[in-house]
Amino acid sequence: MTVTPARRLAAVLVTSVVLAAAVVASGTAAHARTSAGPIKIGISLSLSGDFSDSGKAAQRGYKLWRNVVNAHGGVLGRKVELIIQDDTSSPTQAATNYQNFITKDKVDLVFGPFSTLLTAPSASVANRYGYAFIEPAGGGPAVFQEKLHNVFFTQPAPALQSGDVFAKFLATLPKSQQPKTAAYPSLDDPFASPIADHVRGILEKRGVKTVYKTIYPSETTDMTPIIQKAASKHPDAIIGGTQNGDAYAQIKAMVQLKFSPKFVFLTNGPNDPAEFASKVGAKNVNGIFSTGDWFPQERSPGNAAFVKAYLAAYGGKSDTIDPTSAEAYAVGQVVQDVTKKIHSIDNKQIIATLHTGSWPTVEGVLRWNSIGEPQGSDLLVEWINGKLYPVFPASIALHKAVVPKPPWGG
Amino acid sequence: MHNVIQAVILGVLIGGVYALMASGLTLVFGIMKVINVAQGALVILAAYLSYALFTHLHVDPFLSILVVTPAMFVLGVLVQVVFVRTLRGPDASELSLLVTWALALGIEGVLSVIFKTTFRATNPSYANRSWDVLGYQVSEVRVLAFCASAVLLLLLSVLLTRTRFGRSVRATVQNPTAAALLGVDERRVSTIGFGIGVSMAAAAGAVYGVLYPFNPGSHYDLISRLLSIVVLGGLGSLGGAVVAALLMGVTEAVVAVEISPTWAAFSFFVVLLVVLLVRPQGIFGLRERTL
Repeated sequence: MTVTPARRLAAVLVTSVVLAAAVVASGTAAHARTSAGPIKIGISLSLSGDFSDSGKAAQRGYKLWRNVVNAHGGVLGRKVELIIQDDTSSPTQAATNYQNFITKDKVDLVFGPFSTLLTAPSASVANRYGYAFIEPAGGGPAVFQEKLHNVFFTQPAPALQSGDVFAKFLATLPKSQQPKTAAYPSLDDPFASPIADHVRGILEKRGVKTVYKTIYPSETTDMTPIIQKAASKHPDAIIGGTQNGDAYAQIKAMVQLKFSPKFVFLTNGPNDPAEFASKVGAKNVNGIFSTGDWFPQERSPGNAAFVKAYLAAYGGKSDTIDPTSAEAYAVGQVVQDVTKKIHSIDNKQIIATLHTGSWPTVEGVLRWNSIGEPQGSDLLVEWINGKLYPVFPASIALHKAVVPKPPWGG
Repeated sequence: MHNVIQAVILGVLIGGVYALMASGLTLVFGIMKVINVAQGALVILAAYLSYALFTHLHVDPFLSILVVTPAMFVLGVLVQVVFVRTLRGPDASELSLLVTWALALGIEGVLSVIFKTTFRATNPSYANRSWDVLGYQVSEVRVLAFCASAVLLLLLSVLLTRTRFGRSVRATVQNPTAAALLGVDERRVSTIGFGIGVSMAAAAGAVYGVLYPFNPGSHYDLISRLLSIVVLGGLGSLGGAVVAALLMGVTEAVVAVEISPTWAAFSFFVVLLVVLLVRPQGIFGLRERTL
């Protein structure tokens, strides 16, 4: 059979009308549902594939919240039921999963998946059906540039601003202690080099001279030549946009080259309390700064109870709790609070209400702008006497920051 | 100039370790025309074995070579007998590419399940120490790694040139048909040769874990480097692999320091391309004899 252009056009039109009708019908259904029985929440998670470690961490956080809230009578007197589907770390599968949750499973609410890559398309699907998209781990520009009003990211700051807290901290130091020069060796990764670039923008405006900057590709295993080049410029500060592996290699290279700058700030790597010291040697951690959205000892709303419940449920030590679990738990806390406030699980009302006021969670007290970017600041952490402490902002500090960095232990 | 000399020192030391990894690859190719693309994954597997021995039993990573290498030799022999030897017919070489790739993915999967995907590093107390030589920082582990590699490569070279087995290997590399006619048991040579190739990966892996953080996915990057080294040196040539590995180490380090790390990996491929244009068989490769 040949398909004429007219016939094709007709087919497209018919399909669009049917789809549009389906959208309207299901949208109405979502708002109309107030029946008793459990509150069903659809969550797509990366339980296999590249993000499976983090996906499973998010799952632990969500399930822990469900258990805790159900033990206390549920949400608005109804039990919470999580419908979790694996998306194999694929953005298209995640979007399909949310489509199915909303149209087939007719869930009451949806919670976000892991990573910006999967959150961006999923948030659009939820937006199309008028669902609030409270999400723990999609903090990158791809999520916010869609300018969706249903998105709420449950971390203190958008991902690319997570290093700004270090610049803010430096400004609090006496002028004589502040760095005058800085080098920026960063990984070519959407969540590494742009963070360091953002810090560099702030510091350059403040007169901190950039003596070296470079972006190395992810296949760079040997960091020594790069650090050697940076060291030859004698910067006061090394500020690196990093992930874990390259951060470990940068520190090892600095120690081996006996290059000990006054400040070392790496965006990722040193913020892992359980792994970092064993990777670079316990004698080489002191004085290194990093940043993070959550720490086990943090005095944020409900955090002590969260950590206790987590350890009771999953065992281990508080240092080994993946922040992703806390981020996911915070999603639940937000929903619990907002539904209590409006006495409803209506998505439209949830979205409108979350755009006002501030919301206490284990991730701190959160506020969002109209496109879901959190308006707070991440935490600055520093290794002091072999332990990782939040040191800035002052309100959450558990130790006074130590500057300049002590020499390497070797 | 100080930067360039420091980079050359680094490059040579690292090149030695890559030479050790590549030696196994080129040996296996020479004997049975099998491109073992699992070589990178085998290096990482050995890095994990050595890491596990170090963290649980406090075995020094350099000493662990004595345990890991024979163990991986046995593994190599098994892999050859079960997977590679069974491939027959004119497409055997191409099929072996797929089979060894499957092996690489299998190893990666198993390591991900056992050790998770977080980065690991074997960190003995001397991991980050370095000597100050005329103002240049010479890392102790890198010197150790280079020496260990040199000793193993020397042993391999002695094995190939001074023993009866070595003669059979070289005969098989040069002309399998003639070697078989003269009574060389090609199956035995292939099996043992594959085992030796894997054990070279094993020794290099134990060292690799001390030098760099690694995770199960680290083998992708490794195998692309190793294949380039082997092609540049000339497929099947041990000496070629050593020269090419040193060349790669030095080029990458110098370019990373003097130009940009972005061009470091790429610069080696430029060298590779130029050499292949002038000498398609690689630096030390023999031109294939055709009838």
